[in-house]
Amino acid sequence: MANIIETAKGAGCFGTLLTAVEVAGLTGALESPGPFTVFAPVDDAFAALPPGTVQTLVDNVPQLARILKFHVLSGAYRREQLIEQPEWESLEGAPVAIRRADPFEVKNATVVSADIVCDNGIVHVIDRVILPG
Amino acid sequence: MTPPTATAPEPVAAPLIPPSSHRYADVIHRLEAGGSMLPDTPENLMQIIGIYKAYAVPMDFYWRDLLYIAEQVFLDPLPAFKYFPSQEYLDLPNSYAGDQSKLRIWRGGEKAHPELLEFMEKGETGKMSKLLHHLWHDRINMEFAEACMEAMLWHQGMGGRFYDYLDSDAYRANADRAIKAYFRGNPLMLGLYALFPEMFMEQVKKMSYYANLGLFWEVMAPVFFEMSDIYDEGGFKGVPDAMNFLVNGIFAVAGRPIYHHVYIKGECFEIIPKSAGFTWLYEAALPYVEAVFYRTAPFRGTKSYNAQAYQVPSDQADFHYGILYADVFPVGSAGIPPTLLMQDMLHFLPPYLEELYKQHKRGDEDKLIQLGITFQRSMYNVTSAVIQALRCALLYPLDDTDPEHLMANRRFFEAQMDRFLRPEARLPQIQTQDYR
Repeated sequence: MANIIETAKGAGCFGTLLTAVEVAGLTGALESPGPFTVFAPVDDAFAALPPGTVQTLVDNVPQLARILKFHVLSGAYRREQLIEQPEWESLEGAPVAIRRADPFEVKNATVVSADIVCDNGIVHVIDRVILPG
Repeated sequence: MTPPTATAPEPVAAPLIPPSSHRYADVIHRLEAGGSMLPDTPENLMQIIGIYKAYAVPMDFYWRDLLYIAEQVFLDPLPAFKYFPSQEYLDLPNSYAGDQSKLRIWRGGEKAHPELLEFMEKGETGKMSKLLHHLWHDRINMEFAEACMEAMLWHQGMGGRFYDYLDSDAYRANADRAIKAYFRGNPLMLGLYALFPEMFMEQVKKMSYYANLGLFWEVMAPVFFEMSDIYDEGGFKGVPDAMNFLVNGIFAVAGRPIYHHVYIKGECFEIIPKSAGFTWLYEAALPYVEAVFYRTAPFRGTKSYNAQAYQVPSDQADFHYGILYADVFPVGSAGIPPTLLMQDMLHFLPPYLEELYKQHKRGDEDKLIQLGITFQRSMYNVTSAVIQALRCALLYPLDDTDPEHLMANRRFFEAQMDRFLRPEARLPQIQTQDYR
């Protein structure tokens, strides 16, 4: 089985996310045994942000890392586990709300593909970049 | 001759959610349609853009001087010259304007604006030394900027993690190093520090808020200049365009680091390092809007408040002395001293606003009041941009087709409008053009 990073590379729709993870120096962490739950926004999710948003973050690594860590939980959780609890603490520190079970929604993003099992965790693909608050 | 063909009207889709029954339902429906709290009229557009321009020029001074005070003046016990930023700070390249900027969204130069430099040289009275201009009070009123900073310091805990960090061990250790370095060779001040360490810590915290606000406004100045330029070129079609420009700007710089560096004898002390991860949106912009637009504090001006008679709320969250609630007429009574800001903006009004004020009320005689109300309109538009940006970041697109999502947006907008239910709010007044 592949780890989270290898899985994302193989999928072909996480180019921006993988670049951001690399710039933020988080690749090693996501290749470690973990386990983690990752809410992974697709490329279109980053492209939908207003111009400059991603560039400012990429230019400022600690701030980029903070936003990316909001997309990660410690521990591997499948959809049926996540919907048991209204919110989960992210690695960033702020809670990630599970808003709806069906369709499965994490904060204001919809999960377009859930429960992708990797060596070191579980990936849920989301259609929007989620932000703390 | 062929008769004109009648085209069938487009079928109107039934709304996915029922109308709001909120007292400000009209405003809520306008926000849901992508509008602003400020009605979309050509005059409103002219007023708000004109005042953004007049605000941007003093703001270009505010942010430079705020950073100068935070980074250079720091703990000077007698900061008599804190309103005299060094040439280095007047030339400080704006991180978000000028060719050196990494993010080249807004045009404009990197150094202090030419109109600002001209005013600093000549003022209202004429060319004389900086000190005379200062003593004659013919200058930019930094007291306004400091009042905004103090509102942020005093209200605290309005989202973000900045204030909590100021009580952390890491912050205290960094501040301690800077205090000791700043007063090296000064046994009196070091002795006082040993006796009253918390007093010094409080001063450093205040300096961190100077840096916070300076970094916040460093972005807003070029944004407002750009809006003025776009308007002059005929670029904005209406108030929603102007609001959306601000929404995009908020996103573009949301990740800008908020930090506090101090330079002592040429050495940089990172009291709040960039690596703390603080961002422009969460640690500066949102706390600023809450502290300054909504809350602030009763201003000790021409009107007295009696706290014993509950004229001042006992709960800080109920404070409502910001520009969104201000009665601009009794000058000096409304929270952040608007008089000082109005005086600053008066010097940089574009000709079309000068002309507008001449046509209404008492013309030149009450220009400060008229421009204060224009400023109020413009800040309702900025607040609308913040509300729409938050909706965009945390909720759903306006054209979402899921009724549950639209209801979530509705509840959010209604909660925001609840804050304007108190009688002091000026939201009803700005709906009409005759409020001047």
